[in-house]
Amino acid sequence: MEEILTPQFWTGLLTIIWVNIILSGDNAVVIALAARSLPERQQKQAVFWGAGAAVAMRIVLTVVAVELLKLPYLKIIGGLLLFWIAVKLLLPEDGDDDVDSSDNLLQAIKTILIADLVMSLDNVIAVAAAAKGSVLLLVIGLAISIPLVIFGATMLMALMERYPVIITLGAAILGWVAGEMTVTDPVLVGWIETNLPWMHLHLPLGLGAVSWAQIAGAIVVVVLGKWLARRAAEAGVVELPQHEHGQPKQPGGLG
Amino acid sequence: MSERAYRVLVPVDGSECSNRAVEFLARKAKYYAEPLEVHLLNVQHPFPGTIRGVHRQAQEAHHEEGMKALAAARRILDEAGVPYQHHIAVGEPADTIVRYVKEKAVDQVVMGTHGRGAVVGLLLGSVASKVLQLVEVPVLLVK
Repeated sequence: MEEILTPQFWTGLLTIIWVNIILSGDNAVVIALAARSLPERQQKQAVFWGAGAAVAMRIVLTVVAVELLKLPYLKIIGGLLLFWIAVKLLLPEDGDDDVDSSDNLLQAIKTILIADLVMSLDNVIAVAAAAKGSVLLLVIGLAISIPLVIFGATMLMALMERYPVIITLGAAILGWVAGEMTVTDPVLVGWIETNLPWMHLHLPLGLGAVSWAQIAGAIVVVVLGKWLARRAAEAGVVELPQHEHGQPKQPGGLG
Repeated sequence: MSERAYRVLVPVDGSECSNRAVEFLARKAKYYAEPLEVHLLNVQHPFPGTIRGVHRQAQEAHHEEGMKALAAARRILDEAGVPYQHHIAVGEPADTIVRYVKEKAVDQVVMGTHGRGAVVGLLLGSVASKVLQLVEVPVLLVK
């Protein structure tokens, strides 16, 4: 347990908590949204099974991810995927990928399961990247994500509204770990050592080293994300239609 | 040229301060010489782009939260007998208000100095100060 005495452990832990609030919180938002058009009794069922499935998928995917990330090239793929997730975090929701909109329990569960699978994958890649091979951190990350998947929707919404900078910082952190994960792929490590030795930056005061890949990852995510969001907004004000469209059968906010 | 109504935009978020701005406008509505056209606008934060497959439900949630935020302002104007239109938009609040002013040729903005998101004690909230900087029409700030 001397692992927990290192600064790397604590920065890893902080990263995992931060990333989890956002990437488990958004999964919880999807569950709450998909369930809200159902009658109240079925809402609870949908949330229960939806959150349960998300937790199960996270456990399975975490075990698989740990093994897979030892293979060459997979860290590069994971890093690029994570980079895209980080950019996406800064964009507004879009309607292109709407699956179906009928209001029955099975459809809601299907929507939730598809979202669970994709979003658990996002979360597990992010946590695995932040854990850098530490099984302890992976398990902690998994444990933190479980209550967040179940109760995180309201929390994430409140944070987004009051402190939107938390999302921006979250995206920057994801870009940071994505950059790191990419350059630590077994295929790239040796090549970087010989060809790009300046990549590592040693910090004073024993704070360890950072890589330019991390800095670049964080900056590129924020700049690209903000730019794409601005371009989307330039299309005009997104106004909701005036008529009382598709009023839900059960009133009540998220979570 | 026939007289065009004087178009006033009142961004509201349901906070006490934004409701005071609506009250002020309701009280002073008859001081405007031209016929007044009041637009209430609530801006909802979008969900992050990682959210998938629930666009319709997300819009419903925005609509519902927007109507909640607009409720008090609508009641104030209804009681004062001031006609108005209400709108709910989704986006970054200050940017959306600024864009709305340009797109709808708004003549004046009336808004509270700070909304829900403001840090207590701050003189001018971030949304109000950004709107103040970026719109070219007069802005009336109500404390």
